[in-house]
Amino acid sequence: MTTISPALSHRVGAGSGVNSAKCYQCKRCTVGCPVAEFADLHPAQIMRAVQLGDVERAVRARFIWLCTGCQTCSTRCPQGIDVAAVMDELRMVARERGLVRKDAPFANILKLNLDSMKRWGRLYEVELVALDKLTRPSSLFDDLPTSLKLVAKGKVNPVPKFGDMRQMRRMVKVAKRIDESRGMQRIPIGDPESDMRVTEGGAR
Amino acid sequence: MTTLAYYPGCSLHGTSAELDRSFRASMQALDIELAEIPGWECCGNTAAHSASRLLAIALPANELVKVGRDMGLDSVAVPCAACFSRFMAAEHELAADEQVRREVELVVGRNVPTGIKILNLVDVYHDAVGLQRFKAKVTRPLGGLKVAAYYGCLLTRPPKVTLAEDPECPTRMDDVLRALGAAPVQWSYKTDCCGASLALCEQSIVIELVRRIVADARACGAEAIVAACPLCQINLDSRQLDIKAKDPAWQPLPVVFLSQLVGHAVGVPAGQLGWNKHLTAVPSLS
Repeated sequence: MTTISPALSHRVGAGSGVNSAKCYQCKRCTVGCPVAEFADLHPAQIMRAVQLGDVERAVRARFIWLCTGCQTCSTRCPQGIDVAAVMDELRMVARERGLVRKDAPFANILKLNLDSMKRWGRLYEVELVALDKLTRPSSLFDDLPTSLKLVAKGKVNPVPKFGDMRQMRRMVKVAKRIDESRGMQRIPIGDPESDMRVTEGGAR
Repeated sequence: MTTLAYYPGCSLHGTSAELDRSFRASMQALDIELAEIPGWECCGNTAAHSASRLLAIALPANELVKVGRDMGLDSVAVPCAACFSRFMAAEHELAADEQVRREVELVVGRNVPTGIKILNLVDVYHDAVGLQRFKAKVTRPLGGLKVAAYYGCLLTRPPKVTLAEDPECPTRMDDVLRALGAAPVQWSYKTDCCGASLALCEQSIVIELVRRIVADARACGAEAIVAACPLCQINLDSRQLDIKAKDPAWQPLPVVFLSQLVGHAVGVPAGQLGWNKHLTAVPSLS
C-alpha cells in the first residue's frame, strides 16, 4: 500500500523551490549520477515518487543518504529542475519524522557534523569521526589502515579551533525560529484528513 | 599590493593544512596579501543544507558581512571548493529573493553587503594574480610535466550558482598549469565526483569512484593529478592505498594541490609546500 500525500509533496516543492511536475523522466539525472548504481532507487525514480505524491517512498529510499550533492543532476536537467535540492528536502523530511533508515550511516555523519559546527563554530574533524565510531560501533574497524596512515602523516589535527561561537549560537537559534514559524515541520505522513491510501486495485 | 580577505574553512585548519600553507606561501611570493577573516565560522557544508536552507545561506552570508563591513574588502579567497560553493550559493539566493535576504539578515543580525567577489583557488591564480603575471614570476617552470587538472564537482556546478562558463569541460585550471610550464592532458573524468564525504562511511563506493578517476588520468598520460579541493585531494590520494591493497598491480598516481605546483614554480622552498603530507608519494620536482 502506498500513501499519497499532496500536502507533503507540496512541502517538498516549496522547500526545494522545485516544481516536480516539470520532470518528464528523460533520466539524464540518473545517467550522470555517480552513486545511482550503488543505490536502491535512482534520481529519476525519486523525482517520479515526489511527482506522484508518494513522498514517503522517496524519503525511505537509501538513495537520499548516498547522494553526494555533486550537482550533476541539477546541472544537466533539461527542465532546469534542481534535483539535488529535492534530495536535501527529503533528508530534512526524513529527519523531522524519524524516518531515517538504519542502513544510512551518512545521516549520522551529517547530524554529527551539524552538532560539531554548532558546538565549536567550526567543524572539529577528530570529534566527528570519534563520535561517529561511538554511535556506530559496527564501524569501529572500518577503514582502519587508511585512517592510521593519515594520522601517521600528521594529517589529523587533534586540537579544536573555535569560530565566533556566540554568533554561531545566535544564527542557529534565529534560523530555527523562522523555519518553525513557517509551519513546515507539521505535515504528518499518513494524515487521514488529506492523504489517500492506494492499493494495487486503485484508490479507496 | 592587492589584499584579499581569506576564508580558509575547517579542512584547511585540519586534514589539509598543506593546502593552507602552500596557498599562503604562493600568495606571498606573488605579492598578494591575505587577511584571514577574524573568528570565521564553518560555512555549513552539506550538513547545513540538509537541515535548514535558511541557516545554510546565513552562514556564508555572515562571513560576507565581515569581509565587506568589518574588513572593508571587496574580494574573498575561498580555496576549499565546498566552502566556495556554499558562498556562491548564498550570494545567488540573496540576489534572487528579497524575502530570503530579509530572513538571512534577521539571522545574521546585520545587513549583508552585495557584490563581494568570491574567488576559488583557480580564480585566485587565473584572475586575481592573472596569467600574465606568471610570466615574470615563474622561476622554476614545470618542464612539460604531464598533469590532469581535476575540477571535481563544486568548482563548476551548478553553473547558475558558480557562474562557470563550461561546467562539462572547464579549462581555467589547465590555463594556470600551462602558465607554470606544465602540459595538461585531455581526459574524461575532470568533473566526475570523487564521492566526497561518503569517504567517512561508504568507503567501498568512494574507492570505486576514485579508481575510475585515477585510472582515466593515467590512461590519458598524466604523471600527476592536480586538485583544487581538500576533499577531492584526500580522497584521490588516500583511497589509492585501498585500491593498491586489493590490486597489487595498481600504479599509484600522485595527487597534488594546485597551490603546491604554483608555489614550486614561483620559487617557494619545498619545505613550505607540504609535499610529505601526501600518502601517495610525490616524486621530487627539480
